[in-house]
Amino acid sequence: MSIDREKLLYPFYVMIHPFDGFYEVRNRNKGSVAIALILVFLFGLSFSLRRNYAGFVVNFVDPRSVDSRTEIIAVFLAVFLFAISNWSITSLTEGEGRFKDILVVIGYSLLPMILTYTPAIVISWFIAQGEGSYYYLLINAATLFTVILMIIGIMTIHNYTFGKTLITIVFTFIALLLILFLILLLLFLIQQVWLFIQSLYIEMILRV
Amino acid sequence: MVYKRFLAFMAIIMLILSDSVYALSYMNVPYYTYNYDYWGNIYYTPPAYIPQNVLSGVGIGCGDFKNPQDIFVDDNKKLYIADTGNNRIVVYDLNDKKVSEIKGFVNNGVEESFKSPSGIYVTSDGKIYIADTDNNRVVALNSDGTLYKIIKNPKSKDLGKDFQFSPLKVAVDYAGRVYVIAKNLFEGIMSFDNEGNFTGFVGTIYVNISPYEKIWRKLSTKAQRKSQIQFIPTEFTGIDITSDGFLYATNIDANGKQSVRKLNPKGQDIIKMNNNNSKQSGTLSGDLFWRLSGNYSGASQIIDVTYRDNGIYSILDRRRGRIFTYDDEGDLLYIFGGLGSQEGTFKNPIAIDKIGDEILVLDMGRGNITIFVPTEYGSLINKAVSERYNGDEASAVELWKRVIKLDSNFELAYVGVGKSYLASGENKEAMKYFKLGMDRTYYSIAYRRYRDDILKKNLGYILTVIIVLIAIYVIKRLFKRKKIKKDGGSVYEY
Repeated sequence: MSIDREKLLYPFYVMIHPFDGFYEVRNRNKGSVAIALILVFLFGLSFSLRRNYAGFVVNFVDPRSVDSRTEIIAVFLAVFLFAISNWSITSLTEGEGRFKDILVVIGYSLLPMILTYTPAIVISWFIAQGEGSYYYLLINAATLFTVILMIIGIMTIHNYTFGKTLITIVFTFIALLLILFLILLLLFLIQQVWLFIQSLYIEMILRV
Repeated sequence: MVYKRFLAFMAIIMLILSDSVYALSYMNVPYYTYNYDYWGNIYYTPPAYIPQNVLSGVGIGCGDFKNPQDIFVDDNKKLYIADTGNNRIVVYDLNDKKVSEIKGFVNNGVEESFKSPSGIYVTSDGKIYIADTDNNRVVALNSDGTLYKIIKNPKSKDLGKDFQFSPLKVAVDYAGRVYVIAKNLFEGIMSFDNEGNFTGFVGTIYVNISPYEKIWRKLSTKAQRKSQIQFIPTEFTGIDITSDGFLYATNIDANGKQSVRKLNPKGQDIIKMNNNNSKQSGTLSGDLFWRLSGNYSGASQIIDVTYRDNGIYSILDRRRGRIFTYDDEGDLLYIFGGLGSQEGTFKNPIAIDKIGDEILVLDMGRGNITIFVPTEYGSLINKAVSERYNGDEASAVELWKRVIKLDSNFELAYVGVGKSYLASGENKEAMKYFKLGMDRTYYSIAYRRYRDDILKKNLGYILTVIIVLIAIYVIKRLFKRKKIKKDGGSVYEY
């Protein structure tokens, strides 16, 4: 898998031309999963940076509760969960996108947030109370941009109508909850089995 | 000779150290002293108050108290104790340690006595008001023990026909209006004019029903609804009055949100809560966290309040025996006291009052009164808050700085110091202190001034840079156009 210049700059093209961009991701292999994952990582990083380093006036996060490593891992888990549940729903509803397309859509859609978070942090150092709206405007605009990109992306790669996209997204979240529930159930059962084996082992050691 | 010198040297050392030795000695109190920071975390503080003395009935020479319910200290340091179980009022002079008791009074030539008197208040002109609970009346005596007036059988259509008047606590304002907390009365505090006529209720606590509870009630059947808890407002538990006629009243709030109210003469609650915390909503109800089951569980049950001077008031928690002190802005200043069996802890605390800076707590279960005196830490906070209350922030600063030395986690002190830097124009230093005190509003004020200063100082440079940049841009453009023309008319147009 080679990453050339065109592929590196492609997320920027997608950001400005989402319909064309995501169409070519699906049909002409213009996207790259590796770049998408790097973007997810960068998003996790800037998300965590914002929590820790945003200016005093707009930062309501207890610095003791910030742990960049956990937060980046959590972002990755959330992205994978969303991708898996979206993939499982869209496979059933005639979605044309492949799993890697979904990952690319999510990763590339995060670009506006990555690009605004760091400047927003810098701006937040120089504002007083009452001027916080500049900061929040930037952050919220980026979030809105990302959401719009993501909806367009999912719509395009699966070749859906807008309404169908929204419905699948709702179902995606339901599937997400189901997956979480199953994982918890599985973990609990594995724990039980593990405890059983453990006690069996101790019993053996003490008796035999 | 050497030995003598050594002794002198040691004496000097001891003198220097004596202050810190004292500081160490009072760390040893039988209760936790803590406070909550901006994030709602508990941090431990030096004790603000330490127990100095315990007064018991036998100790002061009038026999054991039996279920005493209320105390009051008047301006002449006379301590009045409503000794409910013994049907008497004990008067103890804290100056000359003399004790006397009031067992009854003469009413139209007939000897009358009290029956479970459970509330007492003494006005500044020496009138003694006694909530004579089981006789269903409030008795007011002159300072010589003769009858002044009796308030009984209040009549009003608000009260209902079979209302029985059982006063529990009583307070009187400067104009002679009498405020009474009565048993089984949820409408608020009863107020009487100075002739003893019932005039109405003040400070009604309205019930807040959450949407969740509303839906739940809608869904349940009639029979279920009957067995559910009735949504009735809580009763008031304690009362105190300021010299300018504001009423401080406590109630038990099971949600731990607001247990103390400051009522103006119209009966409206005007207490200030401090919203500067990570939840952006203030509480005035003692502890922020509590265990949900087991010993010492549940929200603080605030049973009594005492207004101290300069906007400071202390409330008493029956559940865990703690005394919480707030200032007029709703900041929690310090916490002390607890349940236990050592001196300074209580079995069943029921009433609180003050003498100057000292705090008295009446323990119903043990029948004694504990007197707390402020430590250096406590009195520094008291003084600093008082200076701030009286508008003298400048002289509060030195006190706040000393508070920080004793307790480097106290956010209020940092804000206090920051304000002085702000006033003297040292904005950067002020910003540092406001940040430590987690005060975003004042931080922003300091920051704006700091930013303006920097902009003003460097305005020359900034303007120069901007002009140079514009000049470079213009020159570049002119240069490019010339080039194009030299090419002999390019297709590219700018």
